[in-house]
Amino acid sequence: MYLYPTKALSNDQLTTLERMADYTGISAKPAIYDGDTPQSRRAAIRENSRIIISSPHEMHHVLSWHMKWRPLFANLRYIVIDEAHRYRGVFGSHIAMLIRRLSRLCLHYGSRPQFILSTATLANPVEFSCRLTGHPFELVDSNGSPHGRKHFVLYNPFYDGVGERSTHQETKDLLVSCVKNDLQTLCFTGSRKMAELVTLWAREDARRSSAKLADAICTYRAGYLPEDRRAIEIRLKDGTMKGVVSTNALELGIDIGSLDAVIISGYPGTMMSTWQQAGRAGRKGDVSLALLVAQANPLDQYFMNHPEQFFSRSNEHAIVDTENPYIVSGHLLCAAAELPLREDEDRVFFGDSFSQLLPELKSTDLIRKTARGWVYSGRGRAAELVSLGGVPGESFRIMCHGRVLETMDRAHAYREAHKGAILLHQGEMFLVKEMDLETHIVRVTEADVDYYTQPLKEVDLAIIETLETREVNGVKCAFGVVEVTEQYTGYKIKRGDTILGVESLSLPPLTFRTKAFWLVPSSNTEQNILKENLDFAGGLHGAEHAIIALMPLHVMCDRWDVGGLSSSAYGENGEPVIFIYDGYEGGIGLAEKAYELLPDLFATAHALVRDCRCEDGCPSCIYSPKCGNDNQPLDKIATTLILEELCQESVIAESSMDTASSKTASS
Amino acid sequence: MAATHAPARIGSLWHQRMQTLKEYEVVRDGNIFGAGFSNSVVFSSEYDQARQQLGHLISSYKERSFETVFSGNEVSNECGTCFSLTTSHPLHPPAFNFDHYLDTIMRDLTLVRGIGRSTEKRLRGRGYQTLYDLMGHPKYRSQVQPVIDCMRSEDSHDIMDLIGKRHAKSHTLVLGAAGFHELNDYAFLDIETMGLFSRPIILFGIGVIENGALNVYQYLLRDIAEEAAALYETIQHLSGERKALVTFNGKAFDLPYINDRLGYYGMSTQASTRIPHFDVLHFSRRRWRDQFSSLRLTALEKEILHIHREDDIPGQMVPEFYETYQRTGNCGPLVPIVEHNRQDIISLALLFFHLMGESYGC
Repeated sequence: MYLYPTKALSNDQLTTLERMADYTGISAKPAIYDGDTPQSRRAAIRENSRIIISSPHEMHHVLSWHMKWRPLFANLRYIVIDEAHRYRGVFGSHIAMLIRRLSRLCLHYGSRPQFILSTATLANPVEFSCRLTGHPFELVDSNGSPHGRKHFVLYNPFYDGVGERSTHQETKDLLVSCVKNDLQTLCFTGSRKMAELVTLWAREDARRSSAKLADAICTYRAGYLPEDRRAIEIRLKDGTMKGVVSTNALELGIDIGSLDAVIISGYPGTMMSTWQQAGRAGRKGDVSLALLVAQANPLDQYFMNHPEQFFSRSNEHAIVDTENPYIVSGHLLCAAAELPLREDEDRVFFGDSFSQLLPELKSTDLIRKTARGWVYSGRGRAAELVSLGGVPGESFRIMCHGRVLETMDRAHAYREAHKGAILLHQGEMFLVKEMDLETHIVRVTEADVDYYTQPLKEVDLAIIETLETREVNGVKCAFGVVEVTEQYTGYKIKRGDTILGVESLSLPPLTFRTKAFWLVPSSNTEQNILKENLDFAGGLHGAEHAIIALMPLHVMCDRWDVGGLSSSAYGENGEPVIFIYDGYEGGIGLAEKAYELLPDLFATAHALVRDCRCEDGCPSCIYSPKCGNDNQPLDKIATTLILEELCQESVIAESSMDTASSKTASS
Repeated sequence: MAATHAPARIGSLWHQRMQTLKEYEVVRDGNIFGAGFSNSVVFSSEYDQARQQLGHLISSYKERSFETVFSGNEVSNECGTCFSLTTSHPLHPPAFNFDHYLDTIMRDLTLVRGIGRSTEKRLRGRGYQTLYDLMGHPKYRSQVQPVIDCMRSEDSHDIMDLIGKRHAKSHTLVLGAAGFHELNDYAFLDIETMGLFSRPIILFGIGVIENGALNVYQYLLRDIAEEAAALYETIQHLSGERKALVTFNGKAFDLPYINDRLGYYGMSTQASTRIPHFDVLHFSRRRWRDQFSSLRLTALEKEILHIHREDDIPGQMVPEFYETYQRTGNCGPLVPIVEHNRQDIISLALLFFHLMGESYGC
C-alpha cells in the first residue's frame, strides 16, 4: 500500500508502477483507490490489486469497512509513505493516529506490514518516522544522484537596513539578468499573485531587448491543465523557455529536468523547502547557481547576517505529537467504531492517555464498555466527526459568492476573518463582509485595496501544571500545561506603517489548554535594565518576539503556530516571565521540542537581535507581524540584555559585519 | 479564569460535534422530489410530530422501569445476555399453486443459455414446448441439463440465482422460488440501528411463522453491551437447513450490516451468503414502480394493505430516540422504536404474501 498526500503524486506513481509491472511481467495490477474511484471498481481493486495507491483521507474513511479489506489487510507486507515530511504538525499528528488504526486492523487480521518512508532532509528523520508510525526505523541517507558545483548566493536587498527596492523588484531584476545570460532559470515566489507580477515585470523588461526573450519567460502554477504543463515541459527541454516563475507548487508534479539557476524570492519557511527548491538546479552534475533573495523579516535577515549558519545548520526537526488529547480522542472514537477497543491490547497504539480518555468519552455516551471492549455507540459516523486537518473545535467556512474558499478553526477565523478584515487567500485579497457566529459562516468578497488589517488582542494565561523545569545559564525555565484566554478587542487598518483607523470588535473570548515553555529572567538582569533607564517590559516583549521568530529555525512550524505572552510582573510572585505556547488546543509538540533545544534557540534569538543594524527594533528583528499589542512596548537594548543573559556561553560567533549592535550591547 | 479539567471538555466537545451531524434532511411536506430520490429525508410534519412525541414519552415514562414497560425475558448464550420480546400475530398466507409455478418454469425455454425470446418462438414452432423436450435437441441438449438438474435440486438459492441471471433478479419467477419452502422456513428480518453502518444495531426483529401465526421475536439492547448476544440470537433464527430470509431492502442494508457487526465483534458465525434471500423491495419496485411515487414500506402498506400506523416515528429518527434513552435511562423513547420495528415485520410478511398471492395464488 502506497499512501500519497495528493492526487497528482498518486497519478505519477501509478504510471511508474504500471510501467514496472509491464516491464517485469509481474502481475501487480497497481490501482488508485481514493474518493474518485468509482463504486463499481472498488471491489475488484480490493480483491485483485497487489499494489494499492491511496491517500490518508481515503483510508480514514474506509477503515471502518475493514471486513471488505480482510484479504488485503491479512496479507499486507509493506506500507510505503512517500513525502512523509508533509505529515507534520497538526496534520501529521492526525496521520500518526490514522497509521496506528491501520496497523491495529492489520494486526487483527494477522499481518505486521513493514513501513517504508521517504522524506525530504530533516534533522530528525528516525525520531520523526518512529513517532509517525510507532515503529523503529533504520536510516538510509546516501545520496546517489550526481551533483556538480553549486554557487549559492544570499542576496539581501536590506543589507543597509533600508532596502530601496522590494524583494520582488530585486527578484525580477535577477531573473532578467539570468535569462539574458542564457541561464535557464526557475524562480520561486511566495504567492501566486507574486509569481504573476514578477513574470509580467520581467517580460516587460526583457521586451526592451527582444520580444523573443520576453516570450521565453512564463508563469507556472498548480491547477494548470496537463497539456499546458506539457507545453512548458517541452519548451524547457528544447531550450526555448528560459525563465519559469512559480509558487512552490513546482516542488512536485512537473518534470522540468535540470536547470542552470534557481531564484528563491523570500525564505520559503523551512531549510527543507529551501534545499528542495535549490536542488532544482544542477541535477546533472553541471555547475549551477542558486540565489536566495531576502525579505525584511527576522528569519530571512538572520540568515543574511549569519551565512555560516545557513550553510552549516542541519534541517529542522519535524514534529508530530501523539499525545494531544483532542486529536487522540477523536481517533479513539474511530478506532472503537472499527473494532472494540481493549485497554490492555490497544495501549501500544494509543499511548498513555488512552485509559484516561476512555471514561471521558463514555461520559457523553460516545462509547460503552462491554465484555468485548469499548464499543462506539454514537449516532454519527465516527470518521465523519474527525477531520484530519485540524484540532477538533468548531470550524468556520469562508464563503465567496456561495463558494467555499477554505475552512478555518475558530481561533484562526477570529484572528484573520473577523468583520472588516482583509483576508489573504493564496496570495489574493478578500474583504470580510460578515462573520456569523451562529452558523459559522464568514462571507467575503474580492478586494483590491492598498491597506491591510491587524487584529488587536489581549492574552491571559494561567499555569495549570508544571511538568518539567531546567536552568539555562542560570535562568529558570519550565515546560508545562497552560490555559490561554485570547480576546480579540479590535483591529487596526494600516497602509504601510501608517494607521488609517482603529475599529473595535466584540468577539467572545477563546479559551484553550495547551503546552508552553516559559522563562523567568533573573532579578539581576531586571535591575541592570532598570538602572540603564530602559523599558524592562519592552525588553521582555522584544525577547518574546525574537524567540517566536526563530522557532521555525529549529522546529518545523510556522510562526503563526505558536503564541507568546510576556509580563514584567506575573502571578502571585510578581516575577517577570516570558511564555511561548502552542497555538492549538492540547498542544502539538512544538513548545515541547523547543524546550529541549532552548540553549540553541536562545543563542540564535540573541544573535538575531544583536546583529540587526536597526536602532530601535524593526521588522527584521523584534517587530512581529502578528503582535496583538501592535508591537508596543518594545525596547531593543533591553531585549538584547535579556537574551544575552540566556546565552552567556553563546556558540554563535559575533557577526563580522556588525558594528551598531555591539555598540548598543555595551552602551 | 474557569479552570475546567481538560479531558472533561473532551467528552462534551465530541458530543457537541455529534449534534451537528445529521444523516437525514427535513423537507417541506409534499416535496416528492426530495422524498423520491433519497432515503435520507424526513417530512417536516413527521419530524415535528416525532420531536413532540419524544417530549411526551420522556414525561410519561419518567418513573417507569424497563421491566414494567417491556414484558419480555432475558436470554443468555455464549456471547452474553440480551433481552427478548415475543408477540404473536394472526396471519393468513394465501394458498400457493406450486404446480402452476413449476409448469411455468418448465415451459420457459429462455432459462437455457443461448436461447432468447425469438429462438424460443422458433423452437416452439418446431415442437419444443418444455425444457424436457429440449433434452432431445441436438444443440441445446447439453445446455438444458444443468437447468433441469438445478430445478430438481429444489435448492431455492441456486434456482433464484439461475432465473435471476437469465431474467432479472426482481422477476416474479425469482419470487416464486419461495414456493420451494414451507411456511416455517421463512425468517422476516428487520433491524434498527444507530445510523448507516459502523455503528451498533440496537434492535433486531425476526418474524417466524409458527402454528399458523406470525411470531415476532425482538432483541432490544438495554445497553450496547448486549449487541453481541443479540446478534448471536438473530443468527440462530437464520441458520437451519431450509431457512429462507425475507427482508425489505435487506440485500443492501440489513444483511451486510449484520455481517459488518459480526466482523466487528470478531464473531465467527457469519450470516450465510448461501441463504435464499427474498428482498421484497426489489419485487415491489418492479411491480409498483409506475404506480406509486414512494416505494417505502410505510407507503406500500398504506396503499396495498390499508394499514395506518399510529404514533409511528420515521426510521431515520430512531438513532436520536435511542440516544435519548442512552443518555437519560428513560425507556419511553424505546416504545415507538419497538412498535415501529414490529409493524415493519408484520407489513413485510403481508406484502410478501400479497405479491406471492398475486402471482401464484389459487
